[in-house]
Amino acid sequence: MTGRVCRACGGTDIELDAARGDAVCTACGSVLEDNIIVSEVQFVENSGGGSSAVGQFVSLDGPGKTPTLGGGFHVNLGKESRAQTLQNGRRHIHHLGSQLQLNQHCLDTAFIFFKMAANKSLTRGRKMAHVIAACLYLVCRTEGTPHMLLDLSDLLQVNVYVLGKTFLLLARELCINAPAIDPCLYIPRFAHLLEFGEKNHEVSMTALRLLQRMKRDWMHTGRRPSGLCGAALLVAARMHDFRRTVKEVISVVKVCESTLRKRLTEFEDTPTSQLTIDEFMKIDLEEECDPPSYTAGQKKLRMKQLEQVLSKQLEEVEGEISSYQDAIEIELENSRPKARRALVNLSKDGSVEDTTSSLYGEEDAEDEELEAAASHMNKDFYQELLGGGSSSSDAIEIPEEGGQPLALESLLGPMPTAASLGISDSIRECISSPSGDPNPSGDGELDLSGIDDLEIDRYILNEAEARVKAELWMRENAEYLREQREKEARIAKEKELGIYKEHKPKKPCRRREPIQASSAREAIEKMLEQKKISSKINYSVLRDLNSKGAGGPPRDDVRLPEKGSARKLSWRRVAASRSGADPGSSVGKRLRPLVSAQPAKKVAVGEAAFLNSPALGPELARPAAVLVESGPVCYHPEEVADEDDVDEDDGEPCVSALKMLGSNAYGCDGDEDDGY
Amino acid sequence: MDADSDVALDILITNVVCVFRTRCHLNLRKIALEGANVIYKRDVGKVLMKLRKPRITATIWSSGKIICTGATSEEEAKFGARRLARSLQKLGFQVIFTDFKVVNVLAVCNMPFEIRLPEFTKNNRPHASYEPELHPAVCYRIKSLRATLQIFSTGSITVTGPNVKAVATAVEQIYPFVFEKFFSQIRNKDMYIRSREQE
Repeated sequence: MTGRVCRACGGTDIELDAARGDAVCTACGSVLEDNIIVSEVQFVENSGGGSSAVGQFVSLDGPGKTPTLGGGFHVNLGKESRAQTLQNGRRHIHHLGSQLQLNQHCLDTAFIFFKMAANKSLTRGRKMAHVIAACLYLVCRTEGTPHMLLDLSDLLQVNVYVLGKTFLLLARELCINAPAIDPCLYIPRFAHLLEFGEKNHEVSMTALRLLQRMKRDWMHTGRRPSGLCGAALLVAARMHDFRRTVKEVISVVKVCESTLRKRLTEFEDTPTSQLTIDEFMKIDLEEECDPPSYTAGQKKLRMKQLEQVLSKQLEEVEGEISSYQDAIEIELENSRPKARRALVNLSKDGSVEDTTSSLYGEEDAEDEELEAAASHMNKDFYQELLGGGSSSSDAIEIPEEGGQPLALESLLGPMPTAASLGISDSIRECISSPSGDPNPSGDGELDLSGIDDLEIDRYILNEAEARVKAELWMRENAEYLREQREKEARIAKEKELGIYKEHKPKKPCRRREPIQASSAREAIEKMLEQKKISSKINYSVLRDLNSKGAGGPPRDDVRLPEKGSARKLSWRRVAASRSGADPGSSVGKRLRPLVSAQPAKKVAVGEAAFLNSPALGPELARPAAVLVESGPVCYHPEEVADEDDVDEDDGEPCVSALKMLGSNAYGCDGDEDDGY
Repeated sequence: MDADSDVALDILITNVVCVFRTRCHLNLRKIALEGANVIYKRDVGKVLMKLRKPRITATIWSSGKIICTGATSEEEAKFGARRLARSLQKLGFQVIFTDFKVVNVLAVCNMPFEIRLPEFTKNNRPHASYEPELHPAVCYRIKSLRATLQIFSTGSITVTGPNVKAVATAVEQIYPFVFEKFFSQIRNKDMYIRSREQE
């Protein structure tokens, strides 16, 4: 063994007895070590008479269970975060997986995926449920089980696309190639749900054949496999004389009715649908069809072309009509008085020239018919303007119907303005210099080349417009503004009442700077200051805590503080900090709310020494009240007053469990049980 | 008979998204009141301003950051952004046009043939991902270009990338893969039909 020296004689010959767990010096016989921890397997006799090995199984993941004294309040205590995550994950996976009826092998695989994901920190920032669902679905895909993502989203009540996103991310990050879904996988599952009885197998086979045919006809690319399955099953059922309505099928398959109908129509378009049932089972057509979306696209193209041809024809017809109209107009004019005609002609010429030149100035030559129509309409417009009387309106009315002049005007109304907009833009384009490259150095100066100020000015409203707009906006968003006002009123009212609790939006926890302290005592002090649990901590007690180590309670060194109740507090605080060291850290947490409740009570308790304090206690079952109730129990001797207080506290049933732990630390255990 | 034939594919740029900063605080309320074509979203804290000339929509935040969407080319995006800055200047803010950057370009391209998606995915495993349950297209990511292509079975491809050049490169890269699919299918069909005829 390693050279150990005997303390008594200095000899180096030390014998280690593994069975007894002793280390003995062979020279002088003194026992150096007793109760060495051995790593032998021990056997224990159990009730049946057999013997079983002593020990616990420790799992590979995590540090394993630490034996907790006092019953183990929380299973997850004392473990590091990673182990907790994995354990939680395992639990969830089993829970969800059993609902999906996955076997153990799948669940284990899913857990392995989860471990990989946790190692790559993919579980951060995502809901655990989503990650678990993604792992499970990944397993389903790799194993080829007939589970859809929809099933999982049904179970979790989560949007299927959200789950899909997580799943895709997981598959990408873990470099797992999930094989593509084959709709054939779903057939047995859906067929079973549709309850075909004995003919289940035959119907399934027929449906499978149908599906394969659909695949050959390119109906399955880009479509939900469940929709195709539904259509195939519906047809197969009908083929075997089963009456399954569309509604039943969609309730099983989980697609929309219109989707199913669409699939059926598409299938109808394929040549296979023309075969009879027997033929279908025997023959397999060779030719393949294009995917339906492709044919739809082609159809659209053809429709467009047709439309173009039609519109051209329409134009020609219109052209003819307008030429007829012109002819009629001319005839009518000739029948009117000459003077007016002269005027009209004059104006007509001028106007026509103006409009045509301005409208068609620099743009390409429009269709002749359009030009003719436009000039014709302008003619009418000016005629109306100048004519004014009934005769001109008659003239206009005759070629068209009754209410037409108004329609014309309204037609023409927007036209000139639109035209003028068009003109100004095009003119501006020609005049303005082409927009050159701005400064490549990008010094922040706004290069104004090519930007026209006039147009931008139009974007800015003037006073009246601004007012109108403000009013409009107010009206639109009245609800939101009202809510804001109500909220403010509410806050103001609460402020008055003094119960205003500011609901700040949840800020991420600000990381406090790690406490720099030279000793444990300082560290505790600083921590207490930061956490602001109480300003009445007796630091002297704490100081002595440190000096005493983990020994007995610092009875001797307790000095009477200014406030009697503060001592109580210090005890509690001590208890809290002590028990915090245990694995029962949650106990400490529970103590803290007690501690924080007490400062509030301090006002009530007041300066009265707690031995004589009035019994406010009885109606208050809270531990804070215990402070007060130490009065009646005055048969305890004075020097162990501290202990008594502790005892009295322990006497309250609501803190018994708590206190037991706390008092266990002190080692004064016998009295509390008798205390109450 | 190879896939090297130079096909002139029309790549249509449908959207260019760019951002720039004005380096000055903008009073959204003032813009909302005095602008003729603005939508003020007070609950979110932004103003949407639409320009007609290059048809763009800009999201204006009070910090001075502006996002411009809807342009159909990079130059147009820059032009529109400058116009926007000019109009903000007219409203009275001390605007400086800095940090202009084209962030995203979306383009559409049409192949004259259909594409078999499941086989395509199988051959292009790590890059392509196809989930028929979620989306009818294959999502193909090119990491080097930071571009994403969505390939539909009809042959239309939607490409998004950081700039126009990347988008064009991406289409060039994907073309051989896609063509191979189609072509092999044709070839198989040919052979199949011929073998049938022989029988």
